[in-house]
Amino acid sequence: MLRNYFKIAWRNLLKNKLSSFINVVGLTLGISACMVILIFVRYESTFDAHHSNVDLTYRVVQHNTLPDQTTYWNTTAYPLAEALRNDFPEIDVVTQISGPVSREFQVTDNFGNIQRFEESQVLFADAEYPRVFDVRWLAGDSNSALSGTNSVVLTAEIAKKFFGLEKDNYNSILGRTLFLQNKDPLTVTGVVASPPGNSDHQYSMLIPYEFYKINNEYFSTNWSGNYQGTTFIVLGDTKIKGSLEKKIAGWKKKYLNPQDDKRISYVLQPLKEIHNETLYGNSPGGYIMPANILYTASAVALFILLIAIINFVNLLTAQSNSRSKEVGMRKVMGGGRFDLIVQFIFENSLVIIGVLLLSVFIVRILLNLLNTNLSIIDLQLELGWSHIGMLLLIGGLTLILAAVYPAFVVSAFRPIQALRNSKRFLGGNGFSLRKSLVTFQFGIVQLFIIAAIVLAIQMDHFRKVDPGFSSDAVVITETPDFEKLEVYRERLLADTGIDKVAFGSTPPMAVDGFQLGTTYRLPEQSQEEAMDAEMKIADIHYLDFYDMELIAGRNFLGNKEAFDEFIVNETLLKSYGWNADEAIGKRIQINEGQATIVGVVRDFNNNSLQYEISPCILLNWTYYQNNAFIKLSDGNYGSLGTIKNVWEQTFSNSIYDYHFLEDSIEKEYMVENLMFRGFGIFSILAISIGCLGLFGLMSFMISKKAKEIGIRKVLGATLFENLSLFTKEYIGLVALAFVIAAPLVYYFMNQWLEGFTYRIELSFWMFLSGGSITLIIAILTCSFQSIKAALANPIYALKEE
Amino acid sequence: MLLQLKNIFKWVNSGGQRLFLLKDINLDVEEGEFISVMGPSGSGKSTLLNVIGMLDNFDEGEYEFLHESVHTLKEKHRANLYKEYIGFVFQSYHLLDELTVKENLEMPLLYKKFKGTERKAMVADMLDRFNIVGKKDLFPTQLSGGQQQLVGVARALIANPKLILADEPTGNLNSSQSEEIMELFKQLNSEGVTIIQVTHSEKNAAYGSRIINLLDGRMIK
Repeated sequence: MLRNYFKIAWRNLLKNKLSSFINVVGLTLGISACMVILIFVRYESTFDAHHSNVDLTYRVVQHNTLPDQTTYWNTTAYPLAEALRNDFPEIDVVTQISGPVSREFQVTDNFGNIQRFEESQVLFADAEYPRVFDVRWLAGDSNSALSGTNSVVLTAEIAKKFFGLEKDNYNSILGRTLFLQNKDPLTVTGVVASPPGNSDHQYSMLIPYEFYKINNEYFSTNWSGNYQGTTFIVLGDTKIKGSLEKKIAGWKKKYLNPQDDKRISYVLQPLKEIHNETLYGNSPGGYIMPANILYTASAVALFILLIAIINFVNLLTAQSNSRSKEVGMRKVMGGGRFDLIVQFIFENSLVIIGVLLLSVFIVRILLNLLNTNLSIIDLQLELGWSHIGMLLLIGGLTLILAAVYPAFVVSAFRPIQALRNSKRFLGGNGFSLRKSLVTFQFGIVQLFIIAAIVLAIQMDHFRKVDPGFSSDAVVITETPDFEKLEVYRERLLADTGIDKVAFGSTPPMAVDGFQLGTTYRLPEQSQEEAMDAEMKIADIHYLDFYDMELIAGRNFLGNKEAFDEFIVNETLLKSYGWNADEAIGKRIQINEGQATIVGVVRDFNNNSLQYEISPCILLNWTYYQNNAFIKLSDGNYGSLGTIKNVWEQTFSNSIYDYHFLEDSIEKEYMVENLMFRGFGIFSILAISIGCLGLFGLMSFMISKKAKEIGIRKVLGATLFENLSLFTKEYIGLVALAFVIAAPLVYYFMNQWLEGFTYRIELSFWMFLSGGSITLIIAILTCSFQSIKAALANPIYALKEE
Repeated sequence: MLLQLKNIFKWVNSGGQRLFLLKDINLDVEEGEFISVMGPSGSGKSTLLNVIGMLDNFDEGEYEFLHESVHTLKEKHRANLYKEYIGFVFQSYHLLDELTVKENLEMPLLYKKFKGTERKAMVADMLDRFNIVGKKDLFPTQLSGGQQQLVGVARALIANPKLILADEPTGNLNSSQSEEIMELFKQLNSEGVTIIQVTHSEKNAAYGSRIINLLDGRMIK
């Protein structure tokens, strides 16, 4: 019997090549896209889930309650780890890390040549680190490798790069020495495997935390400030989390001064939630994938799958007409309804299983493409055995909706009707299930297209908003040596392709998650009344360099070791109700010291445009002028060579690196960019699958209506009148779908936009153009086939009967 | 007695009026009979055949098939009854285009749960009996109309039914093909198979042992 089913199924597939092709292609596209999105969602929602302690591990985060607001930090003071370790026996393990940061290394290779490397993922980690996070050791002792001071653990990749290892004989490099920043010798004590891509702790080298403490004594003993130290703890039991948090709340006054004790509270954040929670921001080198984006992505995946399934169902039920004779015959010859249901489920399942197998290959190809071409984030997506469940789930859903339902429809035909006249079966002009499904498809397609349009306009808006400073053709390099800044500047300006040079801590807008924080108050106010502000170190050229406008006062006179002048932004003035002129000459106290306001700068976007402008203080300090900003005249990229030469000449023994400010700013919109691209790609996909279905459906409709067209033509209908016979129905469906989709998309996009300070207003034309695009594509798809039918000679259509 | 129809009525409601398709049909069919049902288009020939074949319901009256009252049976039992005892032959053959001659013949046996070896033997027997062994691997579209109907009859016969219902079996065939099929029916009848055929042709009707004339759903003498 199965052989008979199989034969019938196979021969039918071959017979209806067009619809088989559409079915297979449409469903494959749908399932593949759905798989890829879900694999991505799973990847992003299982960050750091590979650690065996994942359920018991917490990050200690800090809430700062300030007079005007509460801020949330993912870092804590450095001494916290040691104190927790000593005072709380109920905490199993405490570890603290700092970084990852960029460092330079000197290695003497096997031939005695000195090689220099810059590594951007150097993580300082204490000896407890491997007890909290799973690290795979290829060489060295996990217990002692990080317990010294001047030691280093390399990933296999770095071990090969630094020491030119050809085989996996990692033990051979244990005990070798390399130099950090040209001075500190570090001994290799271990080699480990690189962490997987979906971990927020990316590192290529681990250096003992002890080493960092010794070299940064001030930071490592300071309880007031946070300097990129992150604390993790492992509990024996998740149940004690609440009581432990309470205990810590009462305990912290032992170390914090009274003001800090009031301001700072420590909260335990489960490791699992770190990657999808936006509140605390991303740690250096990492990124946050907000949970609601993942929900949206999952919904998109489901919708695309549904569109594909609907195609399949619609085509099968439309096509079932041609099977009605078979159904009738089989019933007459003894087949019961159950036999027929089994047969058609079997037949449809065959196609679906084939499609699933095909999808596995497509998914692998797509994942590779995504890994290599998606430059916004570093993905390491892989199709593994762990995705089998997902595949089965998608396959199961598809089977139930796309195989079982049509089987029930087809098997229900009554034999004499089925045998007598198959043409009667397509149903009347009522609002059939098929039309509802097509409407649903159009609705989703319009939802996607409108969302993509809104996203595109919002992205464009980000680019067009005047941020209050100019970022054109700005190259940023590091400045490893503060003493050589003037030499560097002069040498650079000697090149006519370089317009301006300025030094400072950061560019006007916070990029790469780097911003110096401080608090500010009037000298007579207490520490408790202090508010958060951003602090920027700038030289006298900084304002001019970025075209930032002084609205009162003057520029700095020069940078000093003990800063004495502030330039503040307009937002800061609001906290005291000063106008710009009033502010000049006022004294302000910040964590680092006191100085006089000499100038007020017009507000500029010191945060990326999703966020508001925050109080900002520029100071004339000599420290922290970590970056050189170099403006190329009129796109004169030839001067990049000069910059490199000058840099190497000035800061010898260091490795040159540069980036464009505009690129860094673009990265701030990573999530928005990703969403825009996602919606762009998936709306094209959705509309392609939808049209494929429509195309298939039309060819059946046309064969059904060929006679009607013939008669109308004989009676004098024009081509256009005949065309409208097909298209008017779909225009109605698209319009209905629009009425349903537009309010939904309005609601969602409005919610999304509310997250941004600089946002566009939704307007009617965005919706209308989304609807029109869908309509035009739908009409084109319909017309493609119906023109052929409408042009055909009516005798052929009429002769048949 | 193979089957007995008593006072069978069948109607449809159309525009508030009752339109009779069958009116007071009384018919006894003995085993071994060869009956031809005749009448103009729309006189209810096919409807009668479908009622006898249990593919269609009737609204009033009694129908006994092999001493079972069909009108009291549930749909499922009725289906089992006709599946077991009745073979159908259609005007437009209704062979499944996707299956070869051999596979078409095999299909009724699949539903009757015959074993593979049995099925093979029965199909081979049928092919042999109808002289179409050479055509067993061809698809219906590769055969002439007469040959297709031959396969149709063979398919109806393969499960050894007591009754064959043929709805204008020669309607799509030319005269020589028609004759061939009618000769076949005659031969089958002589072998003991009961046949009821619907036909327009006097000539074909003459092959039968009894002729029933229908007009507007009524039997006339």
